[in-house]
Amino acid sequence: MRNVLLKEMRLSASVLSYLFILFGLMFFVPGYPVLCGVFFVTLGIFHSFQSAREANDIVFSALLPIAKRDIVKGKFLFVCLIEGCAFLLMALAVILRMTVFSQSAVYRGNAMMNANLFALGAACVIFGLFNWIFVGGFFKTAYKFGRPFVLFIVVCFTAIFTAEALHHIPGLEKLNAFGTDDIVIQLILLAAGILIFLLLTVLSCRKAWKRFERIDL
Amino acid sequence: MVIVEVKQLRKQYPSFALKDISFHLESGRITGFVGRNGAGKTTTIKSMLNMIHPDGGVIRYFDTPFADHEAELKKRIGYSTGTVSWYPRKRIRDIVDIVKRFYDTWDEAAYQKYLELFAIDETKTPLALSEGMKVKVNLMLALAHKAEVLILDEPTSGLDPFSRNELLEIFTELRDQGVTVFFSTHIISDLEKCADDIVYISKGQIFAAMSKPDFIRQYAEAGESLEDTILRLEGGAVHA
Repeated sequence: MRNVLLKEMRLSASVLSYLFILFGLMFFVPGYPVLCGVFFVTLGIFHSFQSAREANDIVFSALLPIAKRDIVKGKFLFVCLIEGCAFLLMALAVILRMTVFSQSAVYRGNAMMNANLFALGAACVIFGLFNWIFVGGFFKTAYKFGRPFVLFIVVCFTAIFTAEALHHIPGLEKLNAFGTDDIVIQLILLAAGILIFLLLTVLSCRKAWKRFERIDL
Repeated sequence: MVIVEVKQLRKQYPSFALKDISFHLESGRITGFVGRNGAGKTTTIKSMLNMIHPDGGVIRYFDTPFADHEAELKKRIGYSTGTVSWYPRKRIRDIVDIVKRFYDTWDEAAYQKYLELFAIDETKTPLALSEGMKVKVNLMLALAHKAEVLILDEPTSGLDPFSRNELLEIFTELRDQGVTVFFSTHIISDLEKCADDIVYISKGQIFAAMSKPDFIRQYAEAGESLEDTILRLEGGAVHA
């Protein structure tokens, strides 16, 4: 799998996928819907799928001495690698906002969602949705990605809007916790987000294997 | 010795069908796969490489079913097409650097030899290469991982007569080294120049699969060239 991942990184990937990882740092931006940063990261990954298609990457990969399911695994691994790197940047921002900047007025007076562990969990859910809707959807044909990406955009911004709105609902204020307030709830929400990400990714990957096996290239 | 066996391959499309395609390739021989555009050559080749899923039939390489041992058998097969290029904006060197990692049989000395022989500049991108050079790059990759069988889809299409002749000479040299070459073409003079065997496909059916001398003996009329024979057969007699 190492070689397949290397192929993804060096031949299939668009440089934008790597550059757009930096949008993970949008978790530092006050007064902004931080989860939009997650969308921009997925936009970078989308560019890799676009450039890979132009380069006949799937057919090239199908001719390599690997099983067809390894092609699918390679794509998912690459996507998860980019998402993982962005997650680390987001986690860095969240940790700093929870500790060093926990009393910062610019963050405390933030009308938008606070970048806390719940936000990090929500980012994981959006990455999971991307893997389920877009990456899984791509492998229905291994060619068409317009419809899955449009569908993902709709779902993604619905999720962002929902996450932004939740803490305004009476009783759900804790979702917008600052610093280490309600840390247990925050940690549970982060764990739930990671779990949903893993579940959506694994299920999507398995489904994509089966679909890809049936596709005529 | 039979190296590749295609047995009763079937594939149904709404407006086209491959019907019980059967033939085999012998070790160290050049087989020309001839048929007009749309006869089913590319569909057959793609099925032989598991890129298309046939509705029925068996593909065996080295007496091993391809479907069950795809990854390991692909190490012994080289594929090339003259019409598609991979990663058009990446340097050949960068593509090769990735490809060679997949083959434990990769021979760096052979790679350097073919690089020189085919006069390939590995700092160029496929976009900057002519069609003939693209075929040569694919051939070089196949030969550097010591492919025992070369499956080439229309390698001579779009080549000028000089490049075509050069390529056919390379096939002959490879055959002499024991490599089995299977190439599809709709240019019948390619067969006259270098093929040992002919597989002739028409309207999704194999019309003939035999050695070239046998084909000529069986189908050619007095004074007819191979091209005239196939044109006559294609002109109406094939499925009449």
